[in-house]
Amino acid sequence: MSHHHHDDEFGPRHAWLHTPELAKLNEKLDRRRFLTKTTLGLGALAVGSLWGGRQLFGGVAKAPNELTEDTQEAILKALPHFAPKAKRVVYLFMSGGPSQFETFDYKPKLAAMFGQSLPDSVRKGQRLTGMSANQSSLPIAPSVYNFSQYGKSNTWVSELLPYTAGVVDDLCIIKSLYTEQINHDPAITFFQTGNQLPGRPSIGSWVSYGLGSDNENLPTFISMISKNGNDQPLYSRLWGSGFLPTRYEGVQFRSGKDPVLFLNNPEGYDGTDRQEMLMYLKQLNEMQQSGFGDPEIENRMAQYEMAYRMQTSVPDVMSIAGEPDEVFDLYGPDSRDPGTYAANCLLARKLLQKDVKFVQLYHQGWDQHGGLPGGIKNQCKNIDQATAALVTDLKRTGLLDDTLVIWGGEFGRTVYSQGKLTKDNYGRDHHPRCFTMWMAGAGVKSGITYGETDDFGYNITKNPVHVHDFQATLLHLLGIDHERLTFKSQGRRFRLTDVHGKVVNDILS
Amino acid sequence: MILLDISTFFGRLHPLVVHLPIGFLVLAALLDWASYWPTYKSVRAAMPLALGAGAASAVVACGLGWLLSTTGDYAPALLDNHKYSGLALAGVAVLLYALTTPAVRAYVALPKKVFSGAFVAVLGLMSYAGHQGGNLTHGSDYLSLSVLTETQRPKPTSLEQVFVFEDVVQPMLTRRCGQCHQDGKLKGKLRMNTHADLLKGGKHGPAIVAGNLTKSELYRRVTLDPAHKEFMPTDGKTALTRNEVALLKWWIEKAAAADNTKLTAVKGSEAVQPMVAGLLGLSGSTDAVVQEAGNDAHPPNPAIPMTGDTARITAARSQGFVIRIMNHKPLMLDVTWPKKTGQPVVDLAVLTPLAKHIIWLNLSDLNLTDSQLKAVTQYSNLEKLRVEKNPISNEFLRSIAGLSYLQALNVYGTHITSAGLPALKDMKRLEKIYAWQTTITASDVQRVFKDSSNVKVIL
Repeated sequence: MSHHHHDDEFGPRHAWLHTPELAKLNEKLDRRRFLTKTTLGLGALAVGSLWGGRQLFGGVAKAPNELTEDTQEAILKALPHFAPKAKRVVYLFMSGGPSQFETFDYKPKLAAMFGQSLPDSVRKGQRLTGMSANQSSLPIAPSVYNFSQYGKSNTWVSELLPYTAGVVDDLCIIKSLYTEQINHDPAITFFQTGNQLPGRPSIGSWVSYGLGSDNENLPTFISMISKNGNDQPLYSRLWGSGFLPTRYEGVQFRSGKDPVLFLNNPEGYDGTDRQEMLMYLKQLNEMQQSGFGDPEIENRMAQYEMAYRMQTSVPDVMSIAGEPDEVFDLYGPDSRDPGTYAANCLLARKLLQKDVKFVQLYHQGWDQHGGLPGGIKNQCKNIDQATAALVTDLKRTGLLDDTLVIWGGEFGRTVYSQGKLTKDNYGRDHHPRCFTMWMAGAGVKSGITYGETDDFGYNITKNPVHVHDFQATLLHLLGIDHERLTFKSQGRRFRLTDVHGKVVNDILS
Repeated sequence: MILLDISTFFGRLHPLVVHLPIGFLVLAALLDWASYWPTYKSVRAAMPLALGAGAASAVVACGLGWLLSTTGDYAPALLDNHKYSGLALAGVAVLLYALTTPAVRAYVALPKKVFSGAFVAVLGLMSYAGHQGGNLTHGSDYLSLSVLTETQRPKPTSLEQVFVFEDVVQPMLTRRCGQCHQDGKLKGKLRMNTHADLLKGGKHGPAIVAGNLTKSELYRRVTLDPAHKEFMPTDGKTALTRNEVALLKWWIEKAAAADNTKLTAVKGSEAVQPMVAGLLGLSGSTDAVVQEAGNDAHPPNPAIPMTGDTARITAARSQGFVIRIMNHKPLMLDVTWPKKTGQPVVDLAVLTPLAKHIIWLNLSDLNLTDSQLKAVTQYSNLEKLRVEKNPISNEFLRSIAGLSYLQALNVYGTHITSAGLPALKDMKRLEKIYAWQTTITASDVQRVFKDSSNVKVIL
């Protein structure tokens, strides 16, 4: 927030100065505005002279600043670009990079190649990570876990995900995702914002900005991190609003007594006091707003008002006291323990029922560089039942019809073992060239597998889907043409998919 | 092969290099003729240099031109005209230059005025050769009398007057493709002047196959990835806009690539009318790209009115309805009455003016009975109806049997029984019924819906 040093001019000593005329004048002479308008004005003059001929019979040429505001309004007014299939999204983000070999991508031919060095023809000279580069060899590590076919679609799923296997007929499993990012932070940032460098808005913020909220009492974009997974860190900028106005930021709900910090009134301080305080605060903010026109003041006021509404709505939606035992059985024993992935899944369902537009769950700990068999077994155990339960729960309540469920990480893992390879232990390094995600629900074909990888699970052989393509498809399902939702910042227009991305029509129903 | 690449590259330098002899020879002529004026008498001395440069560059241009001609695709007759006149020009220029050198002057000395007259022939030859070259590049009618006298087809002033091919598709194709695909240039031996030309096609077969998008080579090429070798238009020419591609698609598929047909006579033309209006500058246009028809299993519902009274939406919102606009044209709404403590009982009367626009409706968990939900039967374009967790009965199912566009019905946690299911059997578009927490069992479903494989009942 900028710091203006004119405060003493508005103090009670100079109350006579506080006239509307002066406020207007002050606004006109505000440093920011002066610099903006002057340079833009001069620029507009220059550009205007170039385009002079064009305006001969036309209307009055607009100053670039006005053009931007009008354009932005026009962009928002055009949304949605077409009828959406989904009105809510729940994104189950498996942070760390889950191994596709131990989950969905069945590679039976690897069993015969145990310990063999990865052929150069497969690796095609790909640069190894700093960790693998020091290895003397790249031995192929087949998965120690078995795969079977499930459902009417006969989809291969590993033994580590029995519950997910049970709902496989509702899923669209995409095995041909690829990214360019090799490490966690850039890769997750890439998934969430469309660029590996931080600073851009996350998907949820774009959606919130473009489509608005369906429930004014809850944030449009909520994220939760499981307490029973940890390892690679996460950052609040992953659900941040970037250069979009901050009111579109994701709100992180914590587990425990206070899902949102400082939301509840302190001891001995009741609702009416707070209401009165907020009313005066609003007046002060409005004075500030009329003086300086800082858009962040408006955002701050909106957040205060949202927080006030959340005081009643959040405890209500986050309370699992009223849920029948059958629900807890469905999601698994963890679901009674607030903060676990299973509990968060149950909360996600409740939030989605309240028409929260974008719910994101993060579960860390998939980064098994070593000790993979044991590590991933534990990871799967923590998420399998609750994930399948979420899909089932949404389906039987009819919400799956217009909710999009997404499951996946930021990249896949290598077919070769990182570290020592033994018959029952190995590790896998990061692998961006192919990995698996699945989507289910609104507008997505169910019971299909899309995309194929080679026998080594190293390269994609059919139907590659880039991260930007995934983002474009996600926006498409929400009724947004990813090329037309843009925002101008630092002199040029940005969009979630950067300058890439094509909607994957083959998986849309 | 390297040889081929070199000849293509150098051949393409011809249009560049050919400007040199033009400049030099015109300058030579100017220098010669100007020298008749006393003030410019001395410039004649520079004429041989200009003439020599013009002659040399003309010869080089001829060589490059020959290389370019080997890349093919030029109409032979036009090409010959241009080739021979160009060669003749080079020959005459060389000859004239030779006549200025002292060595030749010793044998033949042309009188000054004859020499000056020869420049007329040079310029005349150059104009002819140049014009032929222009025709080769841009087509025979690019710079011709017909451009001056061309009577343009009268522009339609309303959508009713628009002919699909003649007023919409043909001008678009001429603009984007005409430069290379017409008499004189004929790339890929494909002429794109008339409707018959398109059906006839060229080297790669017909450009358009009526009703068949995949076989229409023209459509395939303009929808390729722009970096693809076969993408059209090629050579850096402006690609078709998305609206133009959409119109092309619609014309081939839905209008059977017909010519001499009015836009309004084609079924389903409402979908493209806003775009056509925008393209032709008629009223009733929007900037919207034509809405994706989804897949053909769910063609867009033509019964939904394009616009509605937005004041009614505001009125409904102020009463407490949450209304989400799903689509602008046609106006499609998603209406929810949120469950809130202290909320009055929902009054559906305020929604009546918007009845035809309500596509998704959520009135779940509000303790509503069959009679309170009577108004729902008016929402004829409803596609998704959520009335779960209300004390409704089979009577409600009977009442909504007339909602012919309904795709999904959520009645979980209600009092409906399997006896109510047959009422829904004849709803043609119904695909999903959510009936969890009711007395309905899987065998009930099997019994009632055995032959209608479209309907899935989720229990």
